Amino acid sequence: MEFTALFLAVTIAMLVAWRGSRTAALALFAATLLASVATYLHHATDALKLSF
Amino acid sequence: MTRSLAVTLNALGLLGIALVLAAAFAAQLALGELPCPLCLLQRIQFALLAVGPILNVRFGPRPSHYALSLLVAAAGAAFAMRQVLLHIAPGDPGYGSALFGFHYYTWAFIGFAAAIVLIAAMLLFDRQFKDEADAPPIPTDAFAHADAFAHIAVWLVIGLTALNVLSTLLECGFAACADNPLTYELLKRGA
Repeated sequence: MEFTALFLAVTIAMLVAWRGSRTAALALFAATLLASVATYLHHATDALKLSF
Repeated sequence: MTRSLAVTLNALGLLGIALVLAAAFAAQLALGELPCPLCLLQRIQFALLAVGPILNVRFGPRPSHYALSLLVAAAGAAFAMRQVLLHIAPGDPGYGSALFGFHYYTWAFIGFAAAIVLIAAMLLFDRQFKDEADAPPIPTDAFAHADAFAHIAVWLVIGLTALNVLSTLLECGFAACADNPLTYELLKRGA
């Protein structure tokens, strides 16, 4: 679910960058980047299931 | 490098990102291989990489727009490298199939590293950041001045990212994505 939300956030950031205000696009971009890094860090602490 | 050439190169960069997103989709649909959570995170970084070039096309090239792309490329390279390292042990077959001998996450790392080098190369050309002496001043909102090629590139990358919203919703449903997804959760529930 969080990945769907992140893709949606990126889509909105792109649309705002193309049609909306620059400041709003930068804010959306920063929020999305931070959220994706937070998602990565959250999953980085999962137990590893290696494929061998 | 003139502003207009820089804008054209940024539009070309957007086409490159669209190509990466389309190739990932093609592999997903043709081979039936669903992207894992870490793979999705790398796709998200590729899509996010497009925000800087879109701003460059619309408002004209600025160092801050290139900085956005550099930050994303660094994060994407870190995510891809983690997945490479997860599968680096001898005997590990890796996740998914390989393309020209490399798995997709290895290609993703190469792609993000290439993006960092290309963005740094673009930043070498200062003239793109200055108004051209004999050209009219660039308006704050140069949207109307972007050419058809740039419009197509922008909408292509936005469309592919929107398709990823739908694809990820189908794959993961409304719960956390599976570590090793085999079926589309929403389609399974509907069947």
